[in-house]
Formats: sequence, structure tokens, C-alpha cells
Amino acid sequence: MNIAVDQYVHLASPLHRWEPRCKLIGLMALIFAFSFVGNLSILPAMVAVTAALFIVSKLPVSFMLTRLRYPGFFILAVILILPFISGHTVVLSMGPLDVRQEGLISVLSIATRFLSILTIGLVLFGTTPFLTTIKSMRALGLPSILADMAFLFFRYLFEISDDLRRMQTAMRLRGLSLRRFSIHGLRTLAWLGGSILVRSYERADMVYKAMILRGYGHAGRSQYDLRASSRDLIALGVVLMLAGGFIAGDILA
Amino acid sequence: MHIPDGILPISVTASGYAATTAITWYSVHKINQKENPREDIPKAALLSAAFFVASLIHIPVPPASVHLVLNGLLGVTLGYFAFPAILIGLFFQAVMFQHGGLTTLGINAVIMGLPALLCFYIFRLRNIAGKGKRMTGGFGFSAGFGGVGISAVLLLVILLTNIPADLDAGIERTAIFTLTLAHVPLMAIEGTFTALMAVFLQRVRPEILVGV
Amino acid sequence: MELKSSYNDPTTDRVSPDIATCAERIAAPVLAVSGLWFSYPGVANVLQDVSLKVMPGERVGIIGPNGAGKTTFFLTICAVLKPSAGDIFVLGQPVLNGDFRPEVGLVFQNPDDQLFCPSVRDDVAFGPQNMGLSKDEVEASVTEALSAVGGLELADRPAHHLSEGEKRMVSIAGVLAMRPRLVLYDEPSANLDIRSRRRLIRILQASKETILIASHDLELVLEVCGRVLLIDEGRIVADGNPIGIMGDDELMEAHGQEKPHSLVPHSMPHQEHSR
Repeated sequence: MNIAVDQYVHLASPLHRWEPRCKLIGLMALIFAFSFVGNLSILPAMVAVTAALFIVSKLPVSFMLTRLRYPGFFILAVILILPFISGHTVVLSMGPLDVRQEGLISVLSIATRFLSILTIGLVLFGTTPFLTTIKSMRALGLPSILADMAFLFFRYLFEISDDLRRMQTAMRLRGLSLRRFSIHGLRTLAWLGGSILVRSYERADMVYKAMILRGYGHAGRSQYDLRASSRDLIALGVVLMLAGGFIAGDILA
Repeated sequence: MHIPDGILPISVTASGYAATTAITWYSVHKINQKENPREDIPKAALLSAAFFVASLIHIPVPPASVHLVLNGLLGVTLGYFAFPAILIGLFFQAVMFQHGGLTTLGINAVIMGLPALLCFYIFRLRNIAGKGKRMTGGFGFSAGFGGVGISAVLLLVILLTNIPADLDAGIERTAIFTLTLAHVPLMAIEGTFTALMAVFLQRVRPEILVGV
Repeated sequence: MELKSSYNDPTTDRVSPDIATCAERIAAPVLAVSGLWFSYPGVANVLQDVSLKVMPGERVGIIGPNGAGKTTFFLTICAVLKPSAGDIFVLGQPVLNGDFRPEVGLVFQNPDDQLFCPSVRDDVAFGPQNMGLSKDEVEASVTEALSAVGGLELADRPAHHLSEGEKRMVSIAGVLAMRPRLVLYDEPSANLDIRSRRRLIRILQASKETILIASHDLELVLEVCGRVLLIDEGRIVADGNPIGIMGDDELMEAHGQEKPHSLVPHSMPHQEHSR
């Protein structure tokens, strides 16, 4: 599995250096603020702020473009359909289809919001290792059950997907065809899925034993080395005010 | 099958987060009531990872291939851990693959998670109806078909009632109905696959079907 | 029963030159098992009337066919499984099911089962953290343990980016970080390439703790252990000198074993090469 989002977490930029909890709170607040904005006049500011943050993060543009591809398809569908069904003011007539103004406007705001939010998301998670993200959330109050599940999920995802690949290869070498559809093929794949579940279930038993052998459940854990300097907090303050500004700006406009 | 960022109004995404927080809180509460909650955490976590990986299996449906959701069976096998598991899986997907959305995490979790919990309860009826091969297969099919079906309906309703189009209520209803109908073949595949998996598990490791 | 002639005090912060104290410590076994019986719900008598004493500093190899009960035995010593009958005492204290006893460490057969934290550093720190040590003490244990296995440069790697040999070393480090007095190794050389296996043997030979090694790798047992237990069908069939036991053809074959190659006089021809 290609975990490409973690590719650039080792670069050095102010965003990489920003304390992870502050970064998480600040940028998520900004993302929510962006999702609130609907007014056309605010959109340029959104784009400007997004671009600025992206530049500061020193993440390569190619990175953003490749990550945009997959989720972009859904938005593309929306962009292609909405102008033809939303609104009443017709601006262009293409035969039986009428392009409506309200639809175009919606499309513009949807696309801008989507791109901005996605980019800020990349800035946030492209500069923070996934594990650090979970640790920060735990430090911010995420229940230990969820945090522990997340750590184990992340840890064993790779092992399990390796298991799957190996089993699929073995099946293919014995004639499983992934091109035709058949009940027999479906049953084989169902057994494959079932085997993955059973193996993981059994492995979990051993993992639990390994955990209690090293004291799982005893007090004294969750010592995370997270310390926010005054610079981190000031940056957080600035970004929160920015988020607030967007919301206020949208309401007032 | 997840809603990306930018489309839904903040009223919906915020309600999604509120609902997710409530359901998660309730799930964690129920988990903590168990005799030894920690004992089940590795099982729940590894099974979630296994489901995630299993959902990546390509099922050839010419001319393309599909990926299954498997939220019905996930609900059956994980019980109260199902909703947290789905939340973690969705978060991981949104962060790592930009699949789904960050503002829509809450609403996506509800769309996928509520049917999962429902399937958990319905599958438990097996305790009354019997755990034979036919029963297990039948309940498995319902879990797969229903799990995905209800998710699809929820997804369509939320999308169509919130996109900024002044659609007539009647047109909306028809759209939801036809789009749901279009998904029925996929729901059938999911149901069949889940039934086959359930029968396999009953034979090999029946404890998994009892739920964590 | 052979006592190690050079006794090293396994606790790193105390040195005991005093003969009387040495004698006292030597007299007290690290592990004392008597009349141990164990059955799984579907499988009866996995362990049958096992009794054994292990003295400080001993290196005991445990050999026997698959299903003989070696892993089960280890899990009962560690308080993970509850025996059906019998007593287990570690360092003079009875072992009660569910206790957290960091003085006993178990290195699992499959390092993936044991390496459950996403990063190496977190995993090695897991045990010390649960022991309630301060942040500095935890860091010191982690560094010490990783150095002991020669894996310090792996500290910041994600667990799934390690090779089999590296995973094995890190899982050993995770146990050593708790500074155990008794370490149980379950098939430690399984799946290791030759270089990693040699490294493992050196680590085992340099260890100061009392160790029990369950292994099919009879040559490793010969190189590392001063005492061997042969277990079959849950019973201890032989207990004593490694060469004496493993050199006994009849005994070994009767219990599904073979004489290790290095004990076989070189009268057996190697396989002919075809030209």
C-alpha cells in the first residue's frame, strides 16, 4: 500500500515545525470556516490564504496535483451536472440543455471550497506523520479506546494487506480469474475475505497476550512529548482569527 | 461512496459531527461496561483493518470491477466496536487518500455506521432462528444487502436534499428512487458475498459471527 | 543438573562479591515449577505433571516436537494461562493468573504478534512505560535495550518497514527494556537468515539473565545452552546435559527428534553433486 501522504513529512518548513496539536486545531478550524463560506466575494480571499499556506509548507505542487486526481472525479460530476439543473436564470442555451446562472455560481463555490479544503488538508496531514496526528488527538482528549484502536489499525494494516496479496497470488497461480464474473469466483473471493478475517482474529489473540505481558492496562502510559511554545500558540491564535474572519465576512457580505 | 468536502452546508456536516460524537460516546460507554474492555480492543482493531483490506478486493463485474463496502458484516462481527472502527477507517481514508472528506467525516460515519449497527442487531436474531448454514447464509445476505442498501439510500437522500438545486419534491423523490434502483445489482452482489463469507466463518470460526 | 560456573548478577545496579550472598542467591531458584498440569477446553493434558527448577544464570534449552506443550508452558509461567493444577514460583513469588510480572519476559515465536506499536521506539518503550518509570528512565531503557541487540539505528523506523531479522531484534529489545531476570524465548531463530541467526546466538550467549529457549534449532541450543529439557506430549522426558541428551540416538528418535549434525561423527557422506 502506498502511503504517499507521509512522503514529505520530513521536510523543514514553519508548518512542519508547528506544534501538532496547535496545527490540528488551527487548520481544522480553517477548514470548517471554508466550508461555511458561500459568498462569491469571499472566494478569492479563500484561494489566497490557501495558496499562501501551501507555499509556506514547501510541499511540491506535483504532490497536490496527484492527490487531487481521485477525489476530483466526484466534484467533476457535480460540476458537469449542476449548471444544467440548478436555478432559473438561463445564461446559455445549448440545444435542449440550458446553462443556468445559479448553477454556475454554485459550481464555482463548490469547486473552490473543495479545492481549498483539500489543499489545507494536505498541508495539515502532509506535514505531520499519521502517528503524531493520533497522538495529538489523544493528548487533546480522544478516548484511549479509540486511540489504541487507531494505533493497532495502522500497525497491522500493512501486514494484513501483505497477507491478502500473498493469498491472491497463490490463488491466481491455481487458476483464479479476476476478469470473468462467476459464482464460483465470487465464492473463492469470499473465502479469501473470510480467511483474512480469521487470520486477523487469531493474530489479535496473540497480540493481546503480548500486550498484557508488557503491562497493558497499567497506569503510567500516554507520556507524549508534546509541548507548545508561545510561537506555536500565537500562530494558532492568528489562524483562529483568520477562520473567524472568514465566517464573519461571509455573514456580513 | 463517501461525500467529499465542499458540497454539504455546514448545518448538515455539523449535525453529522454531533450525531457521530453521540453515537461514539454511547459505543465507548457500552464497551467500558464490559468485564474486560481491553481484551477486545486488539480483536476489534485487527478486524477493522482486515475489513478495510477486504474491501479493497476487486470483484470483477464486467466491464469494470467493484469494491465492496462490507459494513453489514462489520457491524455483525464488531458489535459496539463497529462505529468507532468505521470512524477510524474513514478518518484514515480521508487523511491518507483524500477519499471522503474531513468536514464530512461525521456524516459519512453516520451513513456507513448506522446500518452497520442495525445489521448487528438483526443478525443476533440468529440466536432465535438457528445457526444452520441456510440461516447464516440468509442473515448474511440480509446484512450485506441491507447494510449497503440503507447506506445508499441515506447517501442519496442527504445529497439530493442538500445540493443547491431548486428541484421539485416530486422530482427529488423520483431521482432518489431511480438511483437506489440502479444500485440494486450492487446490493445483490454485496449480499451474496456477505452470505458466502458468513457461511465460511460459521464453518471455520463461528465465534467471529457472535461479535466482539 | 548443571550449574553455570561463572555466575553473573543479572541486576545491573548491584554487584555481589560477597560469597555468602552469592551462595544465598544461587540457592534460590529463579523458576520453580511443581506438579504443573494444563488442559485447553478442547484438548486435555497439554502439560502433564511438569516439575522443574531453574537456577539463576542458567541457560536451558527446551526441545521437543510440535504440540509438545512448549509454548503453553511458557504462557503459564508468564501468568497468561492459568494451570489446571500445580504451582509456579518465579523469584520466590507465586505466579498468579493476570499478574503483570516484568521480571519475566517472553519473546514470541512470531515477532509481528509482539511488535504491535507502529514505531520501534514506541514499542520498546511500551513495557517500561507500563512499569511506571519516568520519561528519562524510559528513554534510558529503550536506548540500552536497542543497543544490546544492535538495533539503535532502527529506533525511528515504522515497524512494518523492518526485515524479519530486524523485527526479531526489536521484539527482543522490547522485552529486555523491562530489565527482566528471566527471559523465555519461543523459537527465536525461526525465519532468520544466517547472519541474523548468528547475531541472535551472540546476543543469547552474552545475556546476563536466566534464559529458557524453546527451539527446533538444535545447533543453536548446543551453542547456547548448558542444560536441555526434552518435552514430549506435555511431559519432561529428559533433563540434563545437552550433549548427553541430544547425542542419544534412541532417545531423540523416540521423541520425534534427530541428533544435531555437529554431534554426528563424520562417517555419513554428504549428498553427491551431479556433474
